[in-house]
This record gives sequence, structure tokens and C-alpha cells, in this order.
Amino acid sequence: MKRLCVTLVSGLVLAVAAYCGFYYCGTAQSRDLVRNERPELGWLKQEFHLGDAEFARIADMHKAYLAGCAERCRLIDEKNERLRELLSATNTITPEIDRALSEAALLRAECQKKMLQHFYEVSRTMPPEQGQRYLAWVQDQTIVSDSHQAMHH
Amino acid sequence: MNPEKGQPDASLDRALREWRPSVSLAPRFNERVWQRIVRQEAEIPAALWLRCAQWLNGVFARPSLAVTYVSTLLLAGLLAGYWHARHDNTQASEELSARYVRLMDPYQMPRH
Repeated sequence: MKRLCVTLVSGLVLAVAAYCGFYYCGTAQSRDLVRNERPELGWLKQEFHLGDAEFARIADMHKAYLAGCAERCRLIDEKNERLRELLSATNTITPEIDRALSEAALLRAECQKKMLQHFYEVSRTMPPEQGQRYLAWVQDQTIVSDSHQAMHH
Repeated sequence: MNPEKGQPDASLDRALREWRPSVSLAPRFNERVWQRIVRQEAEIPAALWLRCAQWLNGVFARPSLAVTYVSTLLLAGLLAGYWHARHDNTQASEELSARYVRLMDPYQMPRH
């Protein structure tokens, strides 16, 4: 009976140990990424197999892009606020609303142009095959999908 | 019953009707009967468990089967760990890629 208990328990203990060990080792990279200061960039490096030099250049571009992006976000917020005020004051398309919509569309086009430019620069910094893959993916997630998405702010 | 004629045997019939048992029941007879019933019912699962344990003991007495059992559990643990890790990695990757897109696109970026 003792041998039976030892066999049963050792089977269970081994199974649990194997599960925990495999899970822990298998998720080590993900855990490192999430703990990273800039997990999105860490993900980009891992996903598109970037070398350290390429990654450093892309991280610089990323920083510069986000600085410009902050200003454009401020302008978007301003335009949205103005449009909200105009829309709440009437129930017809006034010349002011028409103008505000045109300005919002222009701003959106400008943002998309800057974004696309950044994507091209990043893709050129990557190895050619990965650059193509990055460009196809990121355009699909942003420029192409934008027309079907509600604005989030 | 008279076996020859198929008629009731009158003398037997009368004797049975007049018969009264002269033995009295032992004290707490009913209670003891119920206690025995309860005890026997409780012994059934224990016996089943014991039979299972004995059977397993017999099975695991063969080293090849014991090794198969341990190996199967080990493999199951490995596969479960691998599958769970893969699932969590995919989820983390999707979350990080979505965060990257939200950072890049001012129209998807969360505002503070």
C-alpha cells in the first residue's frame, strides 16, 4: 500500500512540477517584455527580429514621432471640442460647422501623413523583409482601419 | 393443504391459528437490528475503496505500468504548461501590439 501511495503521489507531483516549469520558462520572455520600461517597443523588437543597432535607431525615431504627436493630439482635442460646441448649439449644418468639419478632416489627413511617414522611416530601418511585413501590418491597423473606426476621443 | 385432493388440511389450519410464539424478543432488539443495518451500509464504500486500492496495488506492482502512469502524468503536465504558456504569450503579444498601434495613431490614442 505504501508503494501505491508513493507511485500515485510522485506521478501527481511530477505533473505539477512539469506544468509549472514549462509555464514559467515558456512565459519568461513575455514577462520580461511587460516589465520593460517601453513594452511596446520591446514587442516591436521581438516581433520584427530587430538587432540592437536597428532597435536603437527606431527607438529614437519613436521618441521624436511621439513628441510631434503630442502637439497634434492637442490640436485634435481643440478641434473636437469646438465641433462639439457648434453641434450642441444647432440642428442644421451651419457654415461654422462646415468649416470645422473641413478643418478636422484636414487635421486628420495631416496626422495620417505624418504617421505614414514615420512608418516608412521605421520600415526602412528594418531588414527589408521585416520592413515589408511591418508596413503591411501597421497600415492595416491604422490608416486602412481608420475609416471604419469611431474616433476614440 | 392436502396434496392428494387439493383441499385445505383442517387440522393444520387449526394448529396454525392457535399457535402463539412463547419466545419474547431480546431487549433493544429493534435498535440493534437498525444498528447492524447502518453498520453494514457504512462498510460497503469502504470495501469498494479497499478493492480499488488493492487493484491499483496489483497494477502498480508491475514496474512497466507504474512507469507508464508516471510518464503519462509528466507528459500531461508538460503539455498543459506548454499550452498555457503559449496562450498567455499570444495574449501578451496581442495586447502589446494593440498598445503600439494606440501610441502611433492619434485617433486611437487614449486621452488623459
